[in-house]
Amino acid sequence: MDSALAHVAWETSLVEPGHDRAMESYARRRLGVPHMTVRYFLAAPWVARAVVDLHVEFGLLMKLDQRTADLIGLVVSQENSCRFCYAIVRSTLWLQGMDAARIRRVEQDFARADLPPPAQAAIAYARAQSRSGPAGALSAWQTLRAAGIDTLEAKEIAFTVAVTDFSNRVHTMVAAPYLPAERMPEHPLIRLLRPLLDRVLGSHRSRGAPAGLPPADPALPYGGLVAAFAGSPIATALQRLLSEMWVSPHLSRRCKLLMFAVVSRGLPCEVCELEIARALRHEGLAAEVLERILGRLEAPELEPTERLLLPLARETLWYEPAVLQRRVRALRDVLTPPQLIEAIGVAALANALCRMTAVALTAQDA
Amino acid sequence: MNPLVVSALAVALLLAFAWWQQRRRNAALQRQLDLAATELQQLQQACARLAPAGVVDRMVADGVHAATDLPAERKVVTALFSDLVGFTAMSEKLEPPVMARILDGYFQRVSDAVHAHSGHVSTWLGDGMLAYFGALRPNPWQCADAVRCALAMVEAMRAYNEELTRDGLPPLALGIGIHRGPGLAGMIGSRERREYGFVGRTVNLAARVQSLTRTHGVEILVTASVREELGDAFRLQAMPPERVKGIDEPVATWAVAGPAGVEPAAAAATIDLPMKP
Repeated sequence: MDSALAHVAWETSLVEPGHDRAMESYARRRLGVPHMTVRYFLAAPWVARAVVDLHVEFGLLMKLDQRTADLIGLVVSQENSCRFCYAIVRSTLWLQGMDAARIRRVEQDFARADLPPPAQAAIAYARAQSRSGPAGALSAWQTLRAAGIDTLEAKEIAFTVAVTDFSNRVHTMVAAPYLPAERMPEHPLIRLLRPLLDRVLGSHRSRGAPAGLPPADPALPYGGLVAAFAGSPIATALQRLLSEMWVSPHLSRRCKLLMFAVVSRGLPCEVCELEIARALRHEGLAAEVLERILGRLEAPELEPTERLLLPLARETLWYEPAVLQRRVRALRDVLTPPQLIEAIGVAALANALCRMTAVALTAQDA
Repeated sequence: MNPLVVSALAVALLLAFAWWQQRRRNAALQRQLDLAATELQQLQQACARLAPAGVVDRMVADGVHAATDLPAERKVVTALFSDLVGFTAMSEKLEPPVMARILDGYFQRVSDAVHAHSGHVSTWLGDGMLAYFGALRPNPWQCADAVRCALAMVEAMRAYNEELTRDGLPPLALGIGIHRGPGLAGMIGSRERREYGFVGRTVNLAARVQSLTRTHGVEILVTASVREELGDAFRLQAMPPERVKGIDEPVATWAVAGPAGVEPAAAAATIDLPMKP
């Protein structure tokens, strides 16, 4: 299958893959087959775990149908120009039996009529969120709701877009090798094993079941976002991810919060910015200092690592893969591998959560 | 053999051949369609550098004319106006191919600088350029981006001038004016030719401030609205207020000497910090 992203410049891998038998076998158990990229993120275990777990097909969706979720993954990866994720989603759709022509029609957008109106609205929201951020996604969100999609399903759509945003950014920033994924449908053995692989992958997919709301630290941001998914397994997954990210020791909590603050300011997401400012005050950062930092992305109060990572956070808002990868290449020479992978994870997560919060939590009908 | 069977076989063969040929034609058409659709998709992504994604989406969905009906919106953007000092006089002494070569090199370098600093080139006006920061997507750092872009343009021109001098060609001098303010953004132009543009006093003032670079003998000038946003991130030198065409009050400007201390966004990644154990 020809890739619509064939023109996108992509660096050679920026991170050496590591080894962690426990994490790799966890990923294999989760997916049913060996995970292609988890080894690139092992330096920061919470990022590796998020790369494995943040897939809506693993029991996270209760309302949204999996096929629409897969199509959302395809269009968001295409919009974000993530060659790796795009190739993976396309290959997965192909493994599941979707023919190449149908995949192309969805990508090319001229055959939206093939899809039912709610799926069209979901894809339109996914495109708007990726292209314009919250500003453009708000009207697409209203269309989504007008198409008769209920609150939970709409939030699941927003979450599906968010986790794809996360996956796109982490894989782009490490420049995950895309060729094995892109060539999968051409590989004779894979073609032969296609029905079997489909069964294996399918047997590891599951629908979500209602779950309780996990306890959250009120001093940290995104409690409201987790609470918005009360009753859904997404709340548990989000809370666990956030907890693991905040306690991870490679970057200070203040540095992570500042990276979140930069993304919130740039998008913008006012709700996020307020929550993050409150958390930063808990960390001892005065409001006027924060304002100075966010105004210039520079201040004498910044630690050296923060000074390096705030521009990275900003760069992840709107990017071209090769430019972002060059920035990561420069950082690789001055940060330790755990610091680098954690920074990549934080920047990607900030984009995912701030984009989702700015729409799904602030829209009138949410 | 029964002639009826032969005829039936012949007809069947002909039909099979026609079906096979049609299938081949369909496959070729499908390939062309796929190629065109892929190109359209790529074009759509490229257009996002010229107009906000919402406008591009509307154009793709409903056609260019529908997009021109989109109401203009009020935005605060930073306009950067640059011009080559004394180039008109210089161009009269140069052969057209030489002049074209010099200009191409200049256009490429300044547009690379704009793109690298999250701006977009709106239009070329002879040897001048109008670029906007914060017009296509929200950008709370638009003033700092514009000033860093201006510094990068000046730096790029220094390197370019070394090349030109080596080739025995005259060096170029740049004047840059930057102003931040409100205006109307939308599809502007005639029925035949429309483009995403920005209208208002902001653009005029950026152009006037650019012309003041000659008066003050400096390369980059910013207005008070830009200075307020910059804080102490850059070394600025106040210039005496000057009257400019179309503005009642004298315009206060500041010359940009360079970044104050550490260059924040652009150079941060290159700082050598002893962080690895």
